[in-house]
Formats: sequence, C-alpha cells, structure tokens
Amino acid sequence: MRRIGTWVALGGLLLSAACGGGSAATPTTATKPLAVGFVAEPANLDFTATEGAAIPQALLVNVYEGLVKLDQDGKIQPLLAEKWEVSPDNKTYTFTLRKGVTFTNGAPFTADDVVFSINRVKSDWKLKIKSQMDVVDKVEKKDDSTAVVTLKQPSNGWLYSMATRLGAMFSRTGVADLANKPVGTGPYQLGSWKRGDSIQLTANEKYWGTKPQVPQITLKYFKDATAMNNALLTGGIDIISAVQAPESLAQFADTNRFQVVEGTTNGEVVLSMNNSRPPFNDKKVRQAVRHAIDHRALLDTAWAGRGQLIGSMVPPTDPWYEDRTGDYPYDVAKAKELLGGKTHNVKMRIPNLPYAVAAAQVVKSQLAQVGITAEIDPLEFPARWLDVVFKQGDYDLSIINHVEPRDMGIFADKSYYFRYDNPEFGKLLASADSGTEQEQAADLKAAAKLLSEDAAADWLFLFPNLIVAKKDITGGLPKNGISEAFDFTALTKR
Amino acid sequence: MRGNLVIGAVLVGLTVVAALVSFVWTPHDPTLVDAAHRLAPPGGDYLLGTDKFGRDTLSQLMVGARTTLYVGIVAVGIAAVIGTPLGMLAGMTPRGWLSELIMRVNDLVFAFPALLLAVMLGAVYGAGTLTAMIAIGVATVPAFARIARAATMQVMVTDYIMAARAAGRRGPAIALRHVLPNIGSMLIVQASVSFAIAILAEAALSFLGFGTRPPTPSWGRMLQEAQELLFSTPRLALWPGLAIALAVLGFNLLGDGLRDHLDPKLRRIRAER
Repeated sequence: MRRIGTWVALGGLLLSAACGGGSAATPTTATKPLAVGFVAEPANLDFTATEGAAIPQALLVNVYEGLVKLDQDGKIQPLLAEKWEVSPDNKTYTFTLRKGVTFTNGAPFTADDVVFSINRVKSDWKLKIKSQMDVVDKVEKKDDSTAVVTLKQPSNGWLYSMATRLGAMFSRTGVADLANKPVGTGPYQLGSWKRGDSIQLTANEKYWGTKPQVPQITLKYFKDATAMNNALLTGGIDIISAVQAPESLAQFADTNRFQVVEGTTNGEVVLSMNNSRPPFNDKKVRQAVRHAIDHRALLDTAWAGRGQLIGSMVPPTDPWYEDRTGDYPYDVAKAKELLGGKTHNVKMRIPNLPYAVAAAQVVKSQLAQVGITAEIDPLEFPARWLDVVFKQGDYDLSIINHVEPRDMGIFADKSYYFRYDNPEFGKLLASADSGTEQEQAADLKAAAKLLSEDAAADWLFLFPNLIVAKKDITGGLPKNGISEAFDFTALTKR
Repeated sequence: MRGNLVIGAVLVGLTVVAALVSFVWTPHDPTLVDAAHRLAPPGGDYLLGTDKFGRDTLSQLMVGARTTLYVGIVAVGIAAVIGTPLGMLAGMTPRGWLSELIMRVNDLVFAFPALLLAVMLGAVYGAGTLTAMIAIGVATVPAFARIARAATMQVMVTDYIMAARAAGRRGPAIALRHVLPNIGSMLIVQASVSFAIAILAEAALSFLGFGTRPPTPSWGRMLQEAQELLFSTPRLALWPGLAIALAVLGFNLLGDGLRDHLDPKLRRIRAER
C-alpha cells in the first residue's frame, strides 16, 4: 500500500509537469506536404446543412469554388465566372462562365450547375444565413456557359454573398453525400478523413487553373491550445491557423524558426443576451451590462491584449465601419443606476472554447460588481452549444465568435438566437441593400449605431488573426482574415 | 513508524485549515478579475502572485482546498455508505448467491476507471462538481466492498461471533454490534487512501474541463489555466501542482500511518520488539 501511495503522490507532480514540452527544432525536410493545425473539428463536411465556421474554413476556395471570390482587400474578383455584367437597373446579373472546368466527380461545370446550386440554397440549405439568397427572383441558363440571375430588387450585398459559402458551386450529380464526400471544382479534393484527428486534402490533378504548389495538405484538429503549440514546436505541424493561447506566443519569438502574422478578422466576439426573456428583454438591463464591462481590461486579461475593441457588429475592414466603442464607456455607477438597485441571477451558457471560457470569467467578475450573478455553464462545442443555445435559445448570456463576413443581418432575424426584434433595424438593412453605394454605407452605419444603442448584444472584442508558421512557409498567409476560407492554394514550403 | 502518521496528519491538517479559514477570510477575492494587477510577482500584497486575470493565487489555493476536500468527502462518503454494507453482506453470507451477485457486479464497476465514468456522466448530465463527485464515489464503491468483505470474513470466524451466534443474535445485530466495530479500522485506512485518489481524480477532471466549473477555484483548473503561461510564468503551475501533490501525499501517509497504528497484528509486533 505504501508503494501505491508514493505513485499516487507522484501522479500529482506529473500532472503539473505534463504540460511542458517542446523539444529541439526538427530539421527542415524537403517533403512538400503541409500540416496545418486547427481547433474545433467539423462534425461533418456539409456546410449547406450544418452551421459553424470549421467546414467552410477547410473546404471553401480549396475544394468548393464560387462564381466570384474575395481578394485580400475584400474586393470581389472573378473565379468560376470569367466576367459578369450588371443590367442598368441593377437587377439582372449575366455571368460568363469559364470553360473546361470539371468537378472532381468528372462532370463538366455548366450553367445548369449554376442554376442548380443557387436554387438549392433556397430549397435544401438549412443555415440561418440562407436568407441572404431570398432576394433572388430566378436563375436561368442562357447557354452552357452563360447564366442569368434576376433579383427581385437591386441588392448591394448579393454579389458579396456569392463570394461566401452561399455561392459555392455544386455538381448536380455530386450532392448525394455532402457530409462525407464533397464534390467541387477547386484545386484540392478530399483525400481522407480520420475522424477526431485530421482531414487530408490532395491536389486536384484536373484543376482548371494554376495548380497548387503543395500536393497534400493535412488539416490537423486539436482540442487543446498547448497541444497545438507543442505540435508546431516539435514539427508535427507547419502552421497554427489561429493561435488559441495568445499568452504563449513568446514561445515562437525565435524569428529564425517562426513567423507570426497578426491582423484582424471578421470575427466579432459577441456577448449575446437573450432579448426575448427576462432580465435581458429589458433594454435598460442590457445597457447596464454594456456599461458594466471594462472591455479593455477584458481583452488584456482574457486574450493577452491581442485583438481590437469594437462597439457594434461591423469589423474595421468593412467600408462602413465606424468606431462605436465610445457608446457605452465603462461606468459601474451608471450601470447600477440603470439596474435601479435590482439584482439578477442569469445563466451564461458558453461553448467550451478557450476564448469563451477566458472571457466568461472576466464578464462574470465584472457583472458581479453591479449585482448581476452569472452562472457559467460551459457546453461542448459545437454539438451541445449549437443545440441548446443556438437552436433552442435556452440561455441568458452566451459568448461566441461570429466569424461570418458582413453578418450584421443576423440581428434582423428575430428567430436568431439573439431574439432581437426591432423592425426599424430590418428597414435600415433593406434600404441599404437596395440603395446606391453612398446610401448603403450611410444606412449600414445607422444600423450599426441602432444595434449599439439598443444594446442588442455586447461586443467584447474583435478576434485577432494570429497565425504562426514555420519560417519556410511562404506565399499565402493572410494578414487579415477576411474570407471564411483558409486559402491553401498559394502556400509553398521551401 | 510514527513518522508517517505525523507527517500525514500535518499535511492533511494544513489542507483542512486552509479550507476552513477560506470560509471566513482570504487575502483577496479569489474570483475578482483585476487587470491592473495581472501576473503580479510573488511578495508584497500578493504572497504567491496573481494569474493572468489578476486573481490572487493564494486565495485561489485556499478556496481550491475547499473544493478538493468537498469532493473528497462526498465521493468517499458515497463509496463508504454503499460499499461497506454490500461488502459486509457478502462477507457474512460467503457462499450464498447474493454474495456472488454482489461481488460480480462489483467487478463490473471496478472495470470502469473513475475518469471514464465522470466523462460519461458529464456528457449526459453536464460537467460539474456534482457529477464529478458522484462518478468518483461510484467508482470507489468496489474498493470499499472488497475490503469490507475480506475483513468481515476474517471477523466471522472469531470466537466472539460464534458466541454471539450461540446466544441467538440475528444477522443485523451481529453486523452492527460486532462486525462493524472490528472492521472499522481497516475502513478508515481505506477511506484515507481513497481520499487521496479522489483528490487526484478531481484535479484531473477539472484539468480536462469535466470537473469544477469556472470560475470556482479548483487546483486542477488552476493547473490547466497555467498551462499556456508555462513558458513565461511557470510558478502559476507550480503552486497548484505542489498543493495537489502534498495533499495526496498527506492522505496516503495518513492512511499508512493509521494502518500501522490501528492494525492489532502490527501492534503486537511492535510490542514484542
């Protein structure tokens, strides 16, 4: 019994030591395959039916292509469409399609697939954002390489949506098993998928455009930030797609071995409040929450000061960005006054992701100062959180990074889990979508202001784009994460 | 031989005192986020420094001791309350079908590690201190049942049990009046050792995110949060690691010491020496 006792005691020490790691550098090899570290493995590969950022991050641009794509400046560029023309009334788009493009199942890409893919969004997609395609009146095939889309009314946002996952082109004969067998026109195709571990993409031999440099990409999924860091330190992966433990960046300070890319993303880390039930159906309580949170302190403690403060649902990379961080300055007295001496007990149901767990503890501590007691309930992400919070809306507070580009429109949907309901906001968005470029910017600015003033939610910070890669990776590490995809096509490994 | 008992009792005593004091006083609020004092070095206002949220490490350790003991007491309590009667029942009817059934079910539960059970329970009922305690408790039941059964079988062949039986006492009375007091010392030793294992299991579960929920301080979660700062601020991992190791060591030494002290056979050997 004594021996067992000693071992058990040793176990305690080992537990504290086991988190170390990181051995000497591995020699750079000449092998070309690349491994990239990600968090949150997708549950399946069908982004037409499953919410979440992980699937488009892996597959969009790489496996699936749209008619158009976003470049690094957020401008729309041709992809599967060689060019397009817009009618004078801004309602008819005529796309001239690239010839000689085939899907990985062998089928040629024609205007029929365009009609099929756009109509399929309306008929089969299960995502909340599919409403962005509601503006489409009809899609027609003019000839094999010309497709004509007619909108119900002019829309500024529609073509942009076509550059996101909503515009991905599917083969009419390739949608039978999207969850497991994606069929696209992209430079990569699905090689193998070891569930719980990694997804392998291999170069598409018959790709119509410039063939990618790296023949094989392994997307390796980690549950744990330290494990991912150690994998890069020991050579198990070449790139960390998004640093999950910013405090640990010091490990990668050696510029002879590593490069760190830092920029902004479209990811607004939102402290969502359930607008449909007490206490957060009361605007004053929501405003009190916004006043009660010291956002600078939160960012400094929870995410090591990396990232940017924002005050509404617009990232600084969008043309209509306005600094709204001054709307609700940190003011405990004001918050207490708004609460009118009442105290509240609320449930904070968060995904068990590093940034959410870190931020939740700060939010809880700061809300306690004004008399709101929040009980933190970490739910497994994605499955449990999506079910309980996102689908059923059974929560008071939550924290999640909304990564979709130009996603302010989700607040216009009152069934969305924010349960925000202000018709004025919907009107502003509709007017922005059909107006001129100036009117669009003005309306969207007003919409962002309205959201902020209504305290529809609180915006904790803008998630930073933090990529760490080995020194010998070049060619395509984006400074700002603007698109939904992690684009592998331009990467090279020396 | 006394050394074990004394060192064990001191280490356990320290943990208990820290936990009790934390009810009335801690140097700082253990969950208060204070950006101005994040990662403060040890000394001065913060005896052991602060973590990345600016929370006082010493206060967290003290309240963490509370969590640790709480889990240990409830888990070992569940195990003892369920395991001991089952083991005694099996021990008093060693050849019956009931004994056979109890011990085989026991083997079945024994096959599941506490961690696995806790992860399963956490997935179904939501992770938290309560599910962790129940899982650890249930997984420790077989250990108690086995000890109780073996000890009961030893006691059942002694002369005083024969005498009690001859006097016409019934099973339950014999169990309570004669068996339980005589196997008590072995159960206490088992409880002490199980306590150590429960502490370790709680720390491991919290480390993995299946135990105590944030921000309630727990030694295991302190370790987990220290992980990303291991390179820049290793002390954050050192303190909770040390606390876990010392508490586990304490309960083990206490168990060993108690066994030496309470076991009549060993006592006789000591007396002869």
